[in-house]
Amino acid sequence: MLYNIYFTSKKRRIYDISVTLQRLNKTTMKLQSKDEIGDLGKVLLEIGTLLMSNGASTARIRMTVDRIADSFGYHADMLITHRALTLALRDSDENQVYNNLKRTSPHGVNFKLVSGISRMSWKIVQQDWTITQINNDLKRLQALPHYPRIIVLSFVSLAGASFCRLAGGNAIEMLIAFIATFGGLFARQEILKKKFNPYIAVLVGATVSALMSGSFSIIGPDFPFEHGFATSVLYLIPGIPLIHSFTDLIEGNTLNGILRWAHGLMIAFMIALGLSISIYLYHI
Amino acid sequence: MNWLELLEKGFWGGCAAVGFAVLFNVPARALWTVFFLGLVGCLAKFSLIGFEVHVVIAAFVGASLVGVFSIRAAHKKHAPPLIFAIPSVIPLVPGIFAYKTMLGIISLTDKVGDNYNQVLAETINNGTKATFIVMALAVGVAIPNLITRKESAKEIDSPLPKMRRLSSKSLKRMIHK
Repeated sequence: MLYNIYFTSKKRRIYDISVTLQRLNKTTMKLQSKDEIGDLGKVLLEIGTLLMSNGASTARIRMTVDRIADSFGYHADMLITHRALTLALRDSDENQVYNNLKRTSPHGVNFKLVSGISRMSWKIVQQDWTITQINNDLKRLQALPHYPRIIVLSFVSLAGASFCRLAGGNAIEMLIAFIATFGGLFARQEILKKKFNPYIAVLVGATVSALMSGSFSIIGPDFPFEHGFATSVLYLIPGIPLIHSFTDLIEGNTLNGILRWAHGLMIAFMIALGLSISIYLYHI
Repeated sequence: MNWLELLEKGFWGGCAAVGFAVLFNVPARALWTVFFLGLVGCLAKFSLIGFEVHVVIAAFVGASLVGVFSIRAAHKKHAPPLIFAIPSVIPLVPGIFAYKTMLGIISLTDKVGDNYNQVLAETINNGTKATFIVMALAVGVAIPNLITRKESAKEIDSPLPKMRRLSSKSLKRMIHK
């Protein structure tokens, strides 16, 4: 009993201290808030759009932006969609309000950036970062290099060969899958460099892969190639859109979930189209 | 199914996971973890299939294991769990079912012949299998967050024992006793 009273009084004291600290913090914040809210809003929109275009789920975007806004003592409300982000930022007294919209850059998965932003958001909370520090770190994260092209090509081709083995292919079929994946991914990268429509890039990748692996059917009717043919386009499967589609749907972000599902379906359709071109040409 | 064959499949599953991790630009420090997670997922799926468990259930168990392990990996490597989990479940995607569905749909566009019903039944069978497996994968990956009702992986207590702590302190204690 005694211990309990002692404990609660101690807790109470800590609470009082923290409340006074918060108040103090708020008063200092008001002095600098006119510029700060605008800068913070810009940074938050930048972080949100970066996360969206680099493969984060809707809930993760909201969580990260909320976390950073909270650490500065503001409240963030957002409308998150595939192509644009709307942010309304306000302080607790609703004296300062920031409101803006930012378009999302074209989508391409980069988990290094997603992971980096997640780490940064914790550092912002724990080490009381300033907005300049956040901006510098964002620049650093965006400048981080991708894997060299040859590494990407060979590892993804290895993944294609592995898929072939998992589906029950033998060594020759694995080699077919490796070569076809290599060629298809190379073609897709070239097409993406020339800023074609992303779905067309998938179609070209699938067609090149399927034509390359299907060409082994000419050798003879008994030549084993079918597993290689089936798995040579698997590097294109829309894994991230479909998994995120489900995560978004189950968390109640229904619109984004349906949107990602449609996006994944479009990719799957393009893969199917590429395969069927090859099937018709080679009469498989 | 013998164990050597199973391990070999696990190895290829790990390789496929690493391939996708490189495609998604996962940081190099996480690649070994992704390999391990892909191996675990594939081992679970193929060993269950070996015990004649339904392929959807097997894929679901594999993906849930990957999801649970990805939380531990996230704590250890200080990165969001999805960067480990997504490349690791991609080897579980039913590529061959999707391919057979595709072939079936193409042959369904032909004239209605004698074996049309057979092709129709097979296509629907393969298509539903592929769809359900993909759904099972998505649920499996999300399972740790769903059952702990936490948004951030940092708040989830790791369900796996911490081996390192056991090896250093408690071992010394045991020796002194």
